[in-house]
Amino acid sequence: MASIIPNYIKKLFQFKIKKTEIKIDENAFLQCPQCKSMIYQKDIDNNFGICPECENHFRITNKQWVKILLDNEELSPLFEKYKPNDTLNFPGYKDKLKILKKNNIDEAITTYKANINGITVLIGIMNTEFIMGSMGAVVGERITLLFEKGLKENLPVIMVTRSGGARMQEGVISLMQMVKTSAAIKRFSDSGNLYIVVLTNPTTGGVTASFAMLGDIILAEPNALIGFAGPRVIQQTIKQTLPEGFQRSEFLLEKGFIDSIVRRNNLKSKLTNILKIHNYK
Amino acid sequence: MFDRILIANRGEIALRVIRACHELGIETVSVFSEEDRDSLHVKTSDHSVCIGPASPLKSYLNKNAILSAAVLKKVNAIHPGFGFLSENYEFAKMCEDIGIVFIGPSSDVMHQLGQKLKAKSIMNKHGIKTIPGSTQAFNNAEEALQTAEKIGFPVMIKAVSGGGGRGIRIIKSSDNFKNIFNEASHEAKISFNDSSIYIEKFIEDPKHIEFQIMCDKYGNCIHLGERDCSMQRRKQKIIEETPSQIISEEQRNKIGKKITKTLSDIGYQSAGTVEFLYSKGEFYFMEMNTRLQVEHTISEAATNFDIVKEQIKVAADSKLSLKQNEVEFKFHSIECRINAEDPKNNFLPSMGKITNITFPGGPGIRIDSGVYSGYTITPYYDSMIAKIIAYDTTRMKTIAKMIRAINEFHVEGIKTNKEFVLNILMSRGFYDGKYSTNFVENRVLNN
Repeated sequence: MASIIPNYIKKLFQFKIKKTEIKIDENAFLQCPQCKSMIYQKDIDNNFGICPECENHFRITNKQWVKILLDNEELSPLFEKYKPNDTLNFPGYKDKLKILKKNNIDEAITTYKANINGITVLIGIMNTEFIMGSMGAVVGERITLLFEKGLKENLPVIMVTRSGGARMQEGVISLMQMVKTSAAIKRFSDSGNLYIVVLTNPTTGGVTASFAMLGDIILAEPNALIGFAGPRVIQQTIKQTLPEGFQRSEFLLEKGFIDSIVRRNNLKSKLTNILKIHNYK
Repeated sequence: MFDRILIANRGEIALRVIRACHELGIETVSVFSEEDRDSLHVKTSDHSVCIGPASPLKSYLNKNAILSAAVLKKVNAIHPGFGFLSENYEFAKMCEDIGIVFIGPSSDVMHQLGQKLKAKSIMNKHGIKTIPGSTQAFNNAEEALQTAEKIGFPVMIKAVSGGGGRGIRIIKSSDNFKNIFNEASHEAKISFNDSSIYIEKFIEDPKHIEFQIMCDKYGNCIHLGERDCSMQRRKQKIIEETPSQIISEEQRNKIGKKITKTLSDIGYQSAGTVEFLYSKGEFYFMEMNTRLQVEHTISEAATNFDIVKEQIKVAADSKLSLKQNEVEFKFHSIECRINAEDPKNNFLPSMGKITNITFPGGPGIRIDSGVYSGYTITPYYDSMIAKIIAYDTTRMKTIAKMIRAINEFHVEGIKTNKEFVLNILMSRGFYDGKYSTNFVENRVLNN
């Protein structure tokens, strides 16, 4: 609607124009997909990435995960020299990698040697920003190396998983990572060391079918989607209506697939307790 | 210059801000609760956004709903009006973070002045008297007496954990101080499980005097004189006037200078009100309201200065348009608040549909109201339906004008305090202008 005051009058009242143009942060608010309330982004950030109204656990960045779980935020990642490349000449993969590199997103997993309340651990945090956290050769290699390091140094390993599964662009090579990581975990476990998995939303496909389900202790965030094939694929295949809450953490806890559901704000203390019980100091 | 301003309020004050914006050629965005769909502040605004259900907590106090509407409508600035979020420094901080101008002081200054003790110490530091009191609590009558003597009798003793008037005693002299102290301490122990007591000077028959101030970003600060708001019932102001009958020009200038200097020093910006208790020639600072006030209208009428427009301009980085020596006190001005309530039934709020309403008019009368014939008053919000403002060259002419205006004012369908206000206006106690904050309770309601 135009102003009710004609311009030739308005001009007479014009007061000093602001020097800097006003810029609104258009991403300051978002609607929670679960409870539909408008939430101030900062309130989510200051609340472990959890909706303050309904406790919906939003996806958070790797940096936020480091801040929430680890004692020191200034860490240099392990095995960084291994970078993804397009061995199969898969259409469009090179361009994708180029864009991700430009945006400084390194791979679908970052691994660290770090402290949790003073206890030294090896930890891998997956990143959905990189092709939906999918597992290719480099992801598999970094995980394998992490477990081998754990074996050598007698350190516990923690995995924070979120992934769409094996990376399509690396074809059979990515499927091989399921075998490779599983073998590394078997050797690690035989040595008597502890492996804890934290399943977050979503953990699916080849990741669920390999290292994500091989933890000695499997924790999950509330209401996380955890499964192999997606619910829609299953529904179309078996032509039956799926039960309510299908493939969600609560459903899987009931069926015995996972050990416990932990809210993100309690995760650090929960992990500390588990590590202490297992005599890590 | 702003293109578009969101008004985070309702009723007559939202309308007041919309009017200022429109006169400046600025578009407005109103926010409203489901209950307020038919309100004037929605009908008169260029844009409007529904922000939630009737309950203020879910609508007019819902920071996220209001600010996401502001982002959606791409406004440059937010005017908070009074009440609701107007003194919420967290809200102001959110605006700053998002990049929307909050029309008011910075969140930091607002936070400082919002803490009573902090505000008191700021004023003390700048040589403004505050109500003398103990800085610590006492359990021992002996120690308390020493402090009471230092403060000077009469004193008021209050339970630290108290509330609702319980555990409060007024002690006139040191003679029976210990007995009364022990009694109060004992009562506090029984009532609140905390026997500690603090001491404050008792101000007898005070007047409520407040100064309207206006500051810009560049350290310029002016005052628009005082308002006498002593005519109150249960701390609710009923009639306000400016200038006060008991303050000399010299006093006005002296205290005005101190306040403007203080606020300029702490970097205050926008409009604000500094409230004092006044007794026997002394001003005691009570608190600072870091916002526009209901009765800003009489200062506007008396000085012919638009406070709301100036707030908007100052928020857009303009300099104050007046210097202190250019402020002219041209008129006497009085405001009466007309509430939907029943004085004959213990001032119970009166709800329902206003079947007919006729406002007074004529020279020297200003009406600020958000209601109209056919409007329904609901229990969710405050009961003020109109502010009637009269102004004229002398106080007596203004009183006569106000009495005339109230007589013209006509409402059907609901009960109002119109007759009650008229009685006060016509009383001897109002006529001499010396009334204190106890006037309504002691002289009007007890008769």
